[in-house]
Amino acid sequence: MISISSAFNAFREELDVHHDRRERLIKASRDITNLSKKTIFLLHRLALESLADADDGRRTSAAAKGYANLCEVQSLYASLRNELAGDRFWRYHQQVSPGLQEYIEALSFTHFLEHRSLIPFETVQRSLSDADRVPYLPLTTSDYLLGLSDLTGELMRLAISGIAQRGGRKQAMEICTFVRNCKADFEGFTPHVRELSKKQAVTSSSLEKIEDAAYAIVLRGSEYDLPPEMLDDIVASTIAQKRHDFGLDHGEEIAV
Amino acid sequence: MDANDLETINASLDFDSDLREKIRDQVTVFDKKTRTMVGLFNKIHSTPSDEIPKLLDTVRPVLSSCAVITAGFAEIIPQDQFWRWKDMWSNSLRTAVFAATLLQYLTDGTLMPLSTVSSNLGIQEEWAGRFVLPAEDYLHGLISLVNELSRLAVNAVTLGNFQEPIKISLFVKEIFAGFAQLNLKNDTLRRRYDSLKYDIKKIEEVVYDVSLRKLAAPNQPTHP
Repeated sequence: MISISSAFNAFREELDVHHDRRERLIKASRDITNLSKKTIFLLHRLALESLADADDGRRTSAAAKGYANLCEVQSLYASLRNELAGDRFWRYHQQVSPGLQEYIEALSFTHFLEHRSLIPFETVQRSLSDADRVPYLPLTTSDYLLGLSDLTGELMRLAISGIAQRGGRKQAMEICTFVRNCKADFEGFTPHVRELSKKQAVTSSSLEKIEDAAYAIVLRGSEYDLPPEMLDDIVASTIAQKRHDFGLDHGEEIAV
Repeated sequence: MDANDLETINASLDFDSDLREKIRDQVTVFDKKTRTMVGLFNKIHSTPSDEIPKLLDTVRPVLSSCAVITAGFAEIIPQDQFWRWKDMWSNSLRTAVFAATLLQYLTDGTLMPLSTVSSNLGIQEEWAGRFVLPAEDYLHGLISLVNELSRLAVNAVTLGNFQEPIKISLFVKEIFAGFAQLNLKNDTLRRRYDSLKYDIKKIEEVVYDVSLRKLAAPNQPTHP
């Protein structure tokens, strides 16, 4: 029989390996969360700038920048591949999950800007796979749904912050319908996925904010019998005039 | 969400909740078995030492019947998903470890190693990724063992067995020294380990009382 002491020595080694791996994954997950959050901020800036463009060119380029940013996250996951191989993925799922959800949020936001649709499960899994389509880690239904659930909050921000700009009103209406559909789709999953019901409540409040904004758009639009583009033009030219009056149209010169 | 995704997601969620249901059923049976063993072991505190082997014989069949349960787990858990579901049964598993190691201690005074506990519970090597006995659960079981033995040290004296506390003291100290070799994190295992010192203290006090009164025979069984 092996001695008690040597048995415990083996346990120490085993536990140390486990704790160290756990720590590494927590750190990596934090890095991934950070990178994903930065990407989301970048996308908000780019989306706002490209809103006024009639063609989809700049919008697509905003998405392209988002994808490029997220490549860094993907390569992080590639490097974690061994840490999460086999039964390890589920052992450390709790540590990996927050970063994964944030990444899915950023990726789905990018996807939305490009396609105006919800990113399919397969597309997310493929983004986390190597060239031969072998996954770095198995994407779980719950992470996918929880990541998407966060997307609605970003869309609310996008809708509201763009509302004062040309094209923003149309976009807000689009997003309103989109988020409403998301909420309806997710409702059926809530009994199965813990945490989702809490996120559904956040989605509801986001949706309400967008709905209030949409309401105001329709109400104000009805007071003038003009097409929305013309209203945009009136507002834009007023702002431009004021800008000129205040001598603000050469902002950088004043700053000097 | 496109209809295809909706369908696959629903299918996967349904699969998981069915599985959870099945595991829960298994855990209920497992729990019943471990409770039975704990119930039987309760009698050690009032059973004279010469009748202990007979008592242990009633526990053995219950312990070996746990193999059916572990085989059931190994059958339903999908490959590599052991850690996803293990929280559902880890309490029962720890109690099973406790029962197996207590049985061994009362049989020959030795510590049953993890691998033996594992094979006593019918766990097979090829189940890796589906059902295993993790070190953490084994260690939790050992702490329960120490908790129980500290009670036994007191009650053995009541039954007139003055050797037992000394035997227990030597055995438990070795386990305690083992735990001291581990780098524990701030988790439940750590907290339970921290409480072990009170058990040690209790056992030491009994040993002290017994030795002082010269109740233990001079030829103390030396530890192996």
